[in-house]
Amino acid sequence: MQKKLKVAALLLAAALLGSSAYAEAEENIFGENFVGWLFNFQRTKGVKPVTDKQYQDECGECHFAYQPGLLPAKSWEALLTAEALRKHFGVNAELDNDTLKVIHDYAVDNAADKSWYKRSRKIAVATAEGPAPLRITELRYISRKHHDIPEKMIRGNKGVKSLSFCDKCHTQAAKGVYDADTVAVPNYPDWDD
Amino acid sequence: MKYRVKFRNIAAGICLATLSGMVYADDTVVNLALPTAASFYTNNFQSLKSRSFNSPAYLLAANEADAVQGQAGVTPVTPAAEFQPPWMSGRKAHQYLGLGTVVFAGLTALTAPSREGCDHNCPPASQQPPRQTSGTTHTRLARATAAMAIATVMTGLLYHWDDFHLEDGWKDPDNLHVMLASTGALLMLYAVNKSAKSSVPTSHAGTAELGAVAMVVAIKLTW
Repeated sequence: MQKKLKVAALLLAAALLGSSAYAEAEENIFGENFVGWLFNFQRTKGVKPVTDKQYQDECGECHFAYQPGLLPAKSWEALLTAEALRKHFGVNAELDNDTLKVIHDYAVDNAADKSWYKRSRKIAVATAEGPAPLRITELRYISRKHHDIPEKMIRGNKGVKSLSFCDKCHTQAAKGVYDADTVAVPNYPDWDD
Repeated sequence: MKYRVKFRNIAAGICLATLSGMVYADDTVVNLALPTAASFYTNNFQSLKSRSFNSPAYLLAANEADAVQGQAGVTPVTPAAEFQPPWMSGRKAHQYLGLGTVVFAGLTALTAPSREGCDHNCPPASQQPPRQTSGTTHTRLARATAAMAIATVMTGLLYHWDDFHLEDGWKDPDNLHVMLASTGALLMLYAVNKSAKSSVPTSHAGTAELGAVAMVVAIKLTW
């Protein structure tokens, strides 16, 4: 009986601790530290959604505002410089210094290697060694996840065109959710992973 | 009695396997309807349009200005309906089974008999009442937990096989998840089996609890 009480007390304590951590997390996505992550019951399977309005507006003006958790900090360091932005994948995407600093700092602070979200952790582990990857679509994890999708469904699909338009198929990409269950390939309603 | 318990375990296993199979089948629906001439035309209409067909009959049937302007290999655009994620899928079944295993493991621990055997003035083993290895709430829950653990591992292998890659190393969250959850399930199975086969009090709680903790950690890593 005493043992049962002990177990019940432990469960209750864990539940209380967890719920208080959850309440805290609601405010501040658990501060991205280990203790916060440990006692948070919010799902963190994908990548952290973009929370910075300036980042969202500036990047989202031309393309899907990729979550910083999709690349390691070293990649954002390489991509978000004044010089690199002048030749941003063949396009001049120059920003004024103040805006660039805000975007750069936000991306680096929330990069894959600084995030506790699962997909970010996977990306961080896979990119820890070697040069900084500059394209999300070239990450081993991302390319492996998409390798069995026929070309006609991506490049040959007017509703997608390129693998870089994440949100065309990942219906909850803006929320950082990239689950296979939330995928809907345009013009292929019956396709299933 | 022994056979009845065995039969019940097998039945429970079949039920879980059927559930997994149903979910799997639901994910990979096979169209068993016989093709009709009309369905052949409607099914292939888009691909027919995309090839430059000059037959007046097809042009008439297409009745669209761009019907013959499509390019080979280009998917025609069809209006998309609002996407609704499925309420149940193989991945979700895996998730629910994993959470269920942990809940059942907790309930099993809570219903454990307070103490088996005795410490002082014990009667000889031959005079002690036979140890109950089935029929109690604890044993039923333990067997259900073990069955769910197996079903969890099986559905995980089926639906998340492409998330497991040795080349990513042991630090990869999915690799850790697989290793910990499989070990946890095996430890729980071992504990249940050890206890079920023993006619005298046997220590198995520690092993089962370690298994349950391994499963909790595995879930947390990919939650």
